[in-house]
Amino acid sequence: MFWDKPVETMEEEALQAMQLRLLNETLHKAAGAPFYRNLPVKEVKTLQDFTAVPFTKKQDLRDHFPYGFLRTDLSEAVRLHSSSGTTGNPTVVFHTMDDLEKWTDQVARCLYMVGVRRQDVFQNTMGYGLLTGGLGFQYGAEKLGALTIPIGPGNSRRQIWFMQTFGTTVVHILPSYALRLYSVFEEMGLDPKKDTKLRIFIIGSEPHSEELRRQIEELYGVKAYNSYGLSEMCGPGVGFECPCQNGIHIWEDRYFVEVIDPETGETVPDGEEGELVLTTLQKEAMPLLRYRTGDLTSIIPGRCRCGRVHKRIARIKGRADDMLIINGVNLFPIQIEKTIMGIPGVGKNYLIEIKTENFMDKLYIKVEVDREIFEGTLSGLTGLQNRITEALKGEILVTPTVQLVEPGSLPVWEGKAKRVQDMRNK
Amino acid sequence: MTYHLSIFMENRPGKLERITKILADLAVNIRAISLASAGEFGVAKFLVDKGETAYNALKEQNITVSKRRILIILLPDEPGAMHGLLQVLAENEINLEDCYGFVIDRGKQAALVIEAEKYPQAEGVLQEKSYRLLSDEELRNL
Repeated sequence: MFWDKPVETMEEEALQAMQLRLLNETLHKAAGAPFYRNLPVKEVKTLQDFTAVPFTKKQDLRDHFPYGFLRTDLSEAVRLHSSSGTTGNPTVVFHTMDDLEKWTDQVARCLYMVGVRRQDVFQNTMGYGLLTGGLGFQYGAEKLGALTIPIGPGNSRRQIWFMQTFGTTVVHILPSYALRLYSVFEEMGLDPKKDTKLRIFIIGSEPHSEELRRQIEELYGVKAYNSYGLSEMCGPGVGFECPCQNGIHIWEDRYFVEVIDPETGETVPDGEEGELVLTTLQKEAMPLLRYRTGDLTSIIPGRCRCGRVHKRIARIKGRADDMLIINGVNLFPIQIEKTIMGIPGVGKNYLIEIKTENFMDKLYIKVEVDREIFEGTLSGLTGLQNRITEALKGEILVTPTVQLVEPGSLPVWEGKAKRVQDMRNK
Repeated sequence: MTYHLSIFMENRPGKLERITKILADLAVNIRAISLASAGEFGVAKFLVDKGETAYNALKEQNITVSKRRILIILLPDEPGAMHGLLQVLAENEINLEDCYGFVIDRGKQAALVIEAEKYPQAEGVLQEKSYRLLSDEELRNL
């Protein structure tokens, strides 16, 4: 069950002592980067003292592009990963050979934890190249010893052909794409439960609801585990669900975990929602101190039944910048997904549209109906429409206009799903 | 079982045309059609001569379609014929979920298609009153 038993099952006290030592080492190392040259804090005596260190924001990475965060000599750095940078400078992250080895080890640790073994065939449908979901998992799965297929995203029929031909057992996939891929299985007259050997799905890279996870598990007859990562820390492998499927363990030997109130910056108690803040503990090329991830979550209090002490965070509710404000009411797209996916008759895709009408915000939710459940009456459809509307009113406190649409009529994405279209007059 | 094809569709230009294209390509003849809309979307019902062929083709094209059981009642094409039939149904407390009609032979014969709540009972009552129902065979050859 454990890839690295001494670290994974370390007692809390020992883990905290290790963190304190690594935080001080990281403070010292970080001071070598131009951005951190004038850090007000040189050393901390306790973990609590670390809150005196200023936050690092995504904008800081952009403003100090390209080398402002590199602390080693360029000759030490062996790889660069980067975000797409569609809005301004891209976010660039550097790795030394040691960084890559540790990252690879973390991904192997995650995969081993959920039961992936040397005998498995691992198909990685994430993009390779500058993004981290491709190469990160490639090296991790190889280190574990699984046969790893770097197929990358897209071309659904070819994905299915590989799954069938090579007996793929484990897939790394975007949750929205998993649903899209299932409809291609259907179009081909195939049932993944019978016609493949799939047993584990690794899902991540976009916030998704528990309901969506369960739907994926049912459609494919697999266990689906939530993967958490961000390229600023390394990429995938920062945190992962254990077989208990109750929260994501963040590897605390590699990251110092805080959850803060995004408005005040104050630490919030365990169990309370806030923004996740991470500090790298063993990063060489580009340590980051109190990095504001933008991801909203909470620390799950108590210890996990799996035996690991590493802190668990709740599934990501969204990004601080995903939040929608509709006529003054705050809501997250994930709340909408969670609500509608639990209603029988709802199909596999939906779209959120926000428009301005008569100077007010108007929320439209387009929902594909489930082809199999349609029994042929208009009253059945209007009943479904009303059930969805009522359920959403209860959850988001805004009355949406629910529009039922034909299965397969909403746009599908080979990459991350873009399920919110904000068409309001700015 | 006699049935018509009930299809979910968005209320937008081209949606209905997509269905009639599939039917036309298969040389399926449409005997009657009814449309009901709830604004943005609605349900179209097609009574066709080759039901099974049409149903399978629509399914294959990923159309949201289902078969709805119906009774097709033959009536004389004259004033009061429908009223007489509805009297019988009302007296027997048989509710209609959907209903539309068409003329088969002008001045002589018409047909009324109904979706009823209670099938065996509706069928029994109509037979008792000597109404003739159109058989699947007759529908194909109409």
